[in-house]
Amino acid sequence: MLKLWKVNAKTGDATVKYPFAPLETNKDMRGKPEHNAEMCIACGACAVACPPDAIHMDSDLAVDSITWSLNYGRCIFCGRCEEACPMGAIKLTEEFELAVMSKDDLMSKSVYTLAHCSVCGEPFAAAKEVDYAARLLEAAGGIEAKEAARVAGVCTDCKRELDAERAAAQVRTANTTHLGLAAPKAEGRVYLGGHGLNPLAAGEGSDDAKEAR
Amino acid sequence: MAEPLLPESLQHRPTKLELDEGIQKAKETLLKKIRRSVYVYRVDCGGCNGCEIEIFGSITPVFDVERFGIKVVPSPRHADVLLYTGAVTRAMRMPALRAYEAAPDPKIVVSYGACGCTGGIFYDNYCVWGGTDKILPVDVYIPGCPPSPAQTVYGFAMALGLLEQKLYAETTVEVEGEQAPILHPRVPYKTRVAIEREARAMSGYRYGKDLANQFLISLATAPGGDIERGMDKLIARQDDPRRVEVFEALRRVVLTGEAHV
Repeated sequence: MLKLWKVNAKTGDATVKYPFAPLETNKDMRGKPEHNAEMCIACGACAVACPPDAIHMDSDLAVDSITWSLNYGRCIFCGRCEEACPMGAIKLTEEFELAVMSKDDLMSKSVYTLAHCSVCGEPFAAAKEVDYAARLLEAAGGIEAKEAARVAGVCTDCKRELDAERAAAQVRTANTTHLGLAAPKAEGRVYLGGHGLNPLAAGEGSDDAKEAR
Repeated sequence: MAEPLLPESLQHRPTKLELDEGIQKAKETLLKKIRRSVYVYRVDCGGCNGCEIEIFGSITPVFDVERFGIKVVPSPRHADVLLYTGAVTRAMRMPALRAYEAAPDPKIVVSYGACGCTGGIFYDNYCVWGGTDKILPVDVYIPGCPPSPAQTVYGFAMALGLLEQKLYAETTVEVEGEQAPILHPRVPYKTRVAIEREARAMSGYRYGKDLANQFLISLATAPGGDIERGMDKLIARQDDPRRVEVFEALRRVVLTGEAHV
């Protein structure tokens, strides 16, 4: 009997004090994903990575907004969003007290405005993302980044169209300068910039090349 | 928004049970003024058993929910609380309803785990109805995949009025002219990308990111802009040889531009 008491006293109490005292947690614990709305650029990488689709990106064209939403009730706390986030805006924290009495309380939302394409005027990305890309390219420096920054506000479709026009202009330049053919009148819009340099247009001084640049 | 794979018309829309007023009132009283132990009956509606393991984890000596009088019982006829786990599959709808009908009124229904709350990762499966609240009136939602014993204890403590609810719905709206900060602005962009890539290749997304951040901070805060000394000091501080290896590779990236992988 006495021996048993001794063993008990030596072992101590195995039960945690939890609801009456805070629980000891680990720094790398995968608890509640905390979203920093200010750092987020609404790129949607987390929504693509999320295995159970707990994170949604819903755009509302009527009010020109894109809404990031996270349903804690569907989240499986895998941390893929944290891995995918290029901004470090979403982090899994040590917070684990997530139980609620009403299902609506499981939703977390952040609303962002949409940016419109400077050529066709259609909404194509979150304004914060476009702004961030332009600033990042500006800070990166170099001729390539500068050219890309010029078309940061243009949507993918228009960029593709402009690239096609540039390619056509290059062909015209090459025909004129190397084959001696008559240059067809260039028509359409002036190219705003693009990815990479045009080696032909950079070297030649023809009208088309100038226009192409 | 990711559309469900099945068209709406092909997915079953069960009718949800509604409570009459008297029972609703009795239930509210039970939730507020419970002064005795509660008996819990566990219903698995097509889960993966992860939740069950955690429920049994919470009745072990470490978390010991029995000290609050919470006891897991083997029959719904003894139960005050019905603990529904799993995503509610079509095949488990009748057992779920039978357990509900068998328990005496007033009873508290708890949705346990991500599947119980919303269907979780199985939400768009063909046989899944997606959450307990599609068929039953639910009082408490305990999210988690699976909820840890501590989360379970919290859920019950909150339902029984010991602790306050912490999580509420929140909506933040972008402020006019809000700009996302550029990370590590003092480090040239291409160097930052090379460092992050190398760290990711060596220690994965999660820890690679941590290590790259630590390294980039040491570059940006090097005293007098002497990055070589900053890097050396960071490496000298480490007591884990694995971290030393990663940081040395990152230093090589900065000094020579050559990547490990």
